[in-house]
Parts: sequence; C-alpha cells; structure tokens
Amino acid sequence: MLVEAQRNRGPVRRVTGLARSTPGRLSLLALLLIAVSLLAGAATAVSVQRRSDALEALADRNEPLAFAAQEVYRAMADADAAAASAFLSGGVESTALRRRYEADVAKAAAALSAATSGITRSPELVEALATLSGQLPVYTGLVETARAHNRQGNPVGAAYLREASTLMRTQLLPAARELYEVETRNVVRDLEDAGSLPWLELLLGALVLFVLVLTQRYLTRRTNRVFNLGLVVATALTVISLLWVLAASLLVVHQASQSKNEATLVDLLARARIATLTARGDETLTLVARGSGAEYEQNYVDADRNLADLLGRARALNGTPPVVGAMDHHRRWQEAHRRIRAADDEGDFTAAVDLALGPAGAGATTAFDALDSDLVDAIGAARAELTEAIGRARAALGGTVPLVVVLALLAPAAGAYGLWQRLKEYW
Amino acid sequence: MKAGVVALLAAVLAACAPVPSAAPPIGGGSAVLPRPADVVELTTPFSPPAVAPASCDPRASLRPTGPLPAPGMMPAGSTMARIQQRGRLIAGVDQNSFQMGFRNPFSGELEGFDVDMVREVARAVFGDPNAIQYKVLTSEQRIPALEDREVDIVVRTMTVTCERWQRVNFSTIYYQAGQRVLVRSNSDVTGIESLGGKRVCATKGSSSLANVAAAPVRPVAVSVSHWTDCLVLLQQGQVDAISTDDTILAGFAAQDPYTKIVGPKFTDEPYGMAIPKADEDFVRFVNALLERLRADGTWTRLHQRWLGPPPVPPVAVYRD
Repeated sequence: MLVEAQRNRGPVRRVTGLARSTPGRLSLLALLLIAVSLLAGAATAVSVQRRSDALEALADRNEPLAFAAQEVYRAMADADAAAASAFLSGGVESTALRRRYEADVAKAAAALSAATSGITRSPELVEALATLSGQLPVYTGLVETARAHNRQGNPVGAAYLREASTLMRTQLLPAARELYEVETRNVVRDLEDAGSLPWLELLLGALVLFVLVLTQRYLTRRTNRVFNLGLVVATALTVISLLWVLAASLLVVHQASQSKNEATLVDLLARARIATLTARGDETLTLVARGSGAEYEQNYVDADRNLADLLGRARALNGTPPVVGAMDHHRRWQEAHRRIRAADDEGDFTAAVDLALGPAGAGATTAFDALDSDLVDAIGAARAELTEAIGRARAALGGTVPLVVVLALLAPAAGAYGLWQRLKEYW
Repeated sequence: MKAGVVALLAAVLAACAPVPSAAPPIGGGSAVLPRPADVVELTTPFSPPAVAPASCDPRASLRPTGPLPAPGMMPAGSTMARIQQRGRLIAGVDQNSFQMGFRNPFSGELEGFDVDMVREVARAVFGDPNAIQYKVLTSEQRIPALEDREVDIVVRTMTVTCERWQRVNFSTIYYQAGQRVLVRSNSDVTGIESLGGKRVCATKGSSSLANVAAAPVRPVAVSVSHWTDCLVLLQQGQVDAISTDDTILAGFAAQDPYTKIVGPKFTDEPYGMAIPKADEDFVRFVNALLERLRADGTWTRLHQRWLGPPPVPPVAVYRD
C-alpha cells in the first residue's frame, strides 16, 4: 500500500508542478477558454434554434390550429342559431337561412379536420375531438329529420329540432369550447416561451467574457504587455456575438409581447363573436318557446353581458374602427331586443317575431348581421397583425444561429492563437 | 451461405424491435344516442302522494250564477273585468300535442281543440277570439303558473283530479279522454298489461306518468318535458311505448303511420280548464260559456274539426 502511494506521487506532483508554472497555467487557460467558448457557443446556438423552431411551429401549426378551433366553435354556434331562426320563421325555411346553416356545417367539418391534424400534439383533446367528429353527423341528421317533419306539417319536427339543439348545447359546443381554449392556451404559451429573456445565452456569453478578461489580466501581470492581439480579437468576437444575441432576443421579446397582445385581442374578439351567436340563438329560442322561454331569456342576458364585457376589453386593448362599430351595433341590437321582449311580453307575438327576424332596419336581424360582420373584420385584422408580428419575430432570429456558431468557433481560435504566441516564448 | 444471410437478416430484424406508437387511439368507437333535454328514467318505484286527497267528485265544478254577460261588458270588480281591462287573455296551452294544442309548422300559429276552446273564452270576454297571449306550458309548469298568476287560464289536456283541485279550480269537463298505449305497428304489445319491464314514455308532472309508474306490471317510466319528445324517443327506439290520453296518442299516430294505439282505456281522464284558486267568478263564467258551447253546437263543430266524429258532449256536474 505504502509503496504504491509512493510510486503514484510522482505523476501527481508532476501535473501539479506543471499547473503552478506559467506555461502550464497558460496552457490550462487556453484549454479553459476553448472549452468554455465552444460550450457557450453550442448552447447558445441550440437555444436560439429552439426559440426559432418554436416560433416556426407557432406560425405554421399552433396559430392555424387555434384558428381552426375557433372556426369549429363559431360555425357550430352559428348553425344552431340559424336552425332555430329557420324554425321560428315558419313555413318552408328561407333560402338565406338554409344556406347559412349549410355553410356553417361545411365550415365546421372542414375546420374540424384541420383541428384533428393536431391530435397527436394535444392528447388531452382526444375526447373532445371524438365528440365533435362523432356527434356532428348526428346533429345534422336530427336537423334534417326535423326538416322532413316540418315539411309534412308534423309538430314532432319541433321536438327533433329541440333534441338537435340540446345535443349542440350539451355536447358539441362544450367540446368545441374546450378545443378552442386548449389551442388558444397553446398559442399564448408559445408566445410566452418565445418572449422570455434569453438569460442562459446571456449568462454563457458573460462567462466567456469573464474567462477572457481573466486571461488577459493574468497575461498583463506576467508579461507586462497590455494587449494581446488574439485575445482582444476573441473578446471583440464574443462581445459581437453577445450583443447580436441580445439585440435579436430583445427584438423577439418585443415582437412576442406585441403578438401576445394581438393574440389576446383575437381571443377576445373570437369569444365576442361566439357570445353574439349564442345570444342570437337564445333570443330566437325564447320566442320559439312561446311564453315559457324565461330560461333562454336568462341565457340571452348572460351572453349579452359577456359580449358587452368582451367588446369593452377589446376596445381598451385596441380600439380599431370595426371594434368601435361592433360596440355601436351591439347597442342597437340591445335596443331591438328590448322592443322584441316588450312586444312578446305584451302578447304581440307576431310583432315580436317580425322584429326578431324581419328585414326592417331597426330590427334585430340588421343589427346582428352588422355586429357579426364588424367582428369578422376585426378578427381578420387582428389575426393578420398577429401572424405578421410572429413573422417579424422569426425574421429577427434569422441568421443568428450561423453567426453564433461561426463566432463561437473563431473566438476560441483567436484566443488560443494569442496564448500560443506567449507560450512559444517558453519553448 | 444463404442460411447465413437469412440468419443475419433475422438477427437484424430481431434487433429492430417494433417501437409502439405514442399516438392516441381513435375515440368515439361506440355510438352515443342523442336524447331530448331533461329525459329522466324513473328508477325508484312510484310512491303515491303521502296525504291521500280528501275524497271528492273531481268532475263537480262551480255552478254558473246566471247567463253570460255580453262580450266587453264584464261585471265591475270581477276577474273577467280585470282581464278585459288588460286587453288580452293570458292562456297556458301546449304546442306539442297534435290536434289538441300544437304549432302549425307552416304558419307558426298555435292551433287545435284546446286552443279553439281558449279562443271561445276570449270571444266571450272581448268579443274577439284573437285577444290572447299564449304561454306554452309543460305538464309540470301548469299548476305553478296558475298559482303564481302568470296565466288566467290553462287549457292543456289537463285531467281534473281531487289532488289538483286542492291547488287550482277546474271548469266542468269539456273533454272525456282515457289513457291508452301507443307502440310501433310491428310490436306485439297489446296494452298496458304487457309492458312489464319495458320503457314507457310520458311527460313530467302528467297524470299519465303517475298512472304508468303505478301500473301493477311495473313498466320503466321515462319522463320528458314535452309530449313530442316521447314520439322522438319512440321513433329512435329509445322507448318501447308511449302511454297517455287517447287524444294525444291519436295526434302521434297521425304523425307516424308506423305506430298503432293498442289496449282499452285503462283510466278515465276528464279534461277541465284550470283557473287560479281565487278566481271562482271566472270559473262560473267559463262554466256558463261551456253550457252554451255544448248547447249551440260549437263543441260538436270543434270536435269534428280536430278530433273526428263527435260523441255526445260531457255532461256538466256541479257542486254548487
């Protein structure tokens, strides 16, 4: 044992001895510099690449998925409202309402297939998507059965429509809302991830700088030479890389926070549009229930309050003309609704239905259609802003990865060259 | 050599053990039947009301005090004068019972035997059969709507019973119905006695539901809000039969040729118009009106219009 320890002391002492000598320390510093610089460069490159990938996924997948989910939700709520209106109008339903319903179903099915493409990414949505794709054909089947009965004058048609509406309200719409909420949350989360300050990258860059400064101070003390060209170049390259990453990241952070505002606006407006459709459906169903629709009227009041709140928040965030117009048309609709309720409560059912469905300028239909088209415009504009801001964020990161890699290779090379100049003197 | 290659290939293939997919399985493999709102299957056996109603003759109503006042000339201070003041009669009706009270899908108007009865009441009060505000009520909303005075009168296939008499007033009988059974035309059910363990539909709060639940053969009672929901459930194969008054069943059979009404009437369901407990003057007024409708052939004409060849109108019974 003792003999063995004796024998091992030789190489250990040789290594520690070398480390204490100036050339040994210079070699170690060179190794440390190369290692730290390469590691920092690699880590920064990977991190920036990941951020860029996240933005790409956001722009190409998650944001379109969230929009598809919104379309599913919107189209289904609209189909329900259109079916109820078609029923209330009596007789053979109007071509316009029928077209609207058909367009909604087509849109819901198409958007659903787009939303389903993201199923492997969000396994928690399996159930909601299965409900949506499984029950949508059932829903349309019930509506068509109701239609066939209505055409024959059978009151049971109304019961099929009620069953369809119940299916929509208890199964399809909650599933659509879940889908929409998850996809929207994904977008917000992606934006938050992309918009966080790159602490790791900056820390690593600072570490490399620290090692460089340390090396230069050591050299100055040992050799009395203030500057070492290689190390100065290495420092300059590192500073450039660091500033570049910092600038690009700050740009991304700025764009991401702007995108987040736009995403919030899109979300507020989309929910406002769905609240509009829900309120419209409830307004119609109150009349269909013929005097016993207190529950639907309460639903209308809730949806209407929600709508006012959402529009108010959207306006506070970004008062674009369509948003202001939407608030104006919302007020007009509320007025029309008050007149509908007054007429219905006073027993003038026919006047109430005319106000609700008729083409009169002061009726609910005009205000509702105008409000809906305002919201379509506002959502379109906000969404364009959102995708553009994401695009700008991606552009800010463009070229950063190759630059970081090149600089991360050049900086240690320059540093090692500079140290080599000094090391040579000990040969 | 060849064997070696095969062995090598086998080894390579064995090394490439399959990696299971992380993709979630396809959901929705089993169909979920849509259901009308508020469907309830009564699993607990039906228990009759704890307090047995005092024995009474449910058909006996209040005797009219005299001839009808002229339309628009209601005696001051009476319930009718209050209604006349308001300008419209608020009537609780149904929009789901074909031929009794239903919504005509073409016109969107409420029609039927019950609705025409309401129109006769409005004609007697105002001289105008259209001075009506309809409130569509489900079976179970009828008595609360009268107690809360949301409606002046309920004419909605409502059976007079001693139990209900304790909470509302009824007019004399304006229609005599009886409970029967409706099944698909290929069913071998012959009446309520062959429905043991089968699913039978009726509306919540109706006497039909109580009768089904109390039937000795123990059918499974399924309750819904509206009568037409029962037909939907029958057409979708979710119930085996519907059991209620023959009038309502006839309305179903008229909408679906693949159904038949079977068995005898196993209950008596005399219909009365229900009026809030306090408005006795209005009850007497309506009874005077019913006397006239029976006598002048209006009742017969309306029966012919909606329900086919008329029998003799039900005889009025009074308790004074």
